[in-house]
Amino acid sequence: MTYNRASQQNPWPLMFLVALTGWILPGGGYLVLKEISRGVIIFITIAVIFIAGLYIGSIGVVDPAGARLWYIVQMATSPFVAIIGYYTQGGGFPAYGRPNEMGQIYTSTAGLLNLLCIVNAVYMSYLRKTQTEEN
Amino acid sequence: MFELPLMIIAQFTVPQDLGTNPKSLLLVLPLLVAISVVYKATKVEKVSAGNFIKESVLLFGSILVFLIITALVLAAVAWLIVG
Repeated sequence: MTYNRASQQNPWPLMFLVALTGWILPGGGYLVLKEISRGVIIFITIAVIFIAGLYIGSIGVVDPAGARLWYIVQMATSPFVAIIGYYTQGGGFPAYGRPNEMGQIYTSTAGLLNLLCIVNAVYMSYLRKTQTEEN
Repeated sequence: MFELPLMIIAQFTVPQDLGTNPKSLLLVLPLLVAISVVYKATKVEKVSAGNFIKESVLLFGSILVFLIITALVLAAVAWLIVG
């Protein structure tokens, strides 16, 4: 196995930065990789779908105590979801029935889509790093 | 001065009245749009307006057609069983 100088560069810091930025701000990972239009499209879409979910079912759909599994998926949208969870955990914003279901589906879909974007952005950063090393 | 922001925030503290009518099925459409757009945003090589919109619309249409076919099959099965 041969090693060149470039291959000794560690790709993990960039991958970690991309993942962290992508979690804090949906689409943020792409912004780090200078994929501005991709990042903006993803940010707007995920933000709109998450806010629509909150509008349909109220902020009560983010319920860390009563709907823990949904909450975990919702947290994939952004760590700021925890702020909403902090205010709703006491049960002060009850949501029932179809509005609750639809709100949870919308907000959780936003979380899962952001997870997809984080994984994709991290993979993209890894590819770029290795391609840069090969050149 | 703060009335408008407070009114907007207040909208998010009360669930909307959705009902269980067939029209509420249309709520799947915004989700489909979001899934198509985000998925294609991660997949296209270069994000150019024409190509990206075309790819997203194609995916949106494919998922919608598949959903309609699935719904029709399920309705047919239910009709055969229940009568």
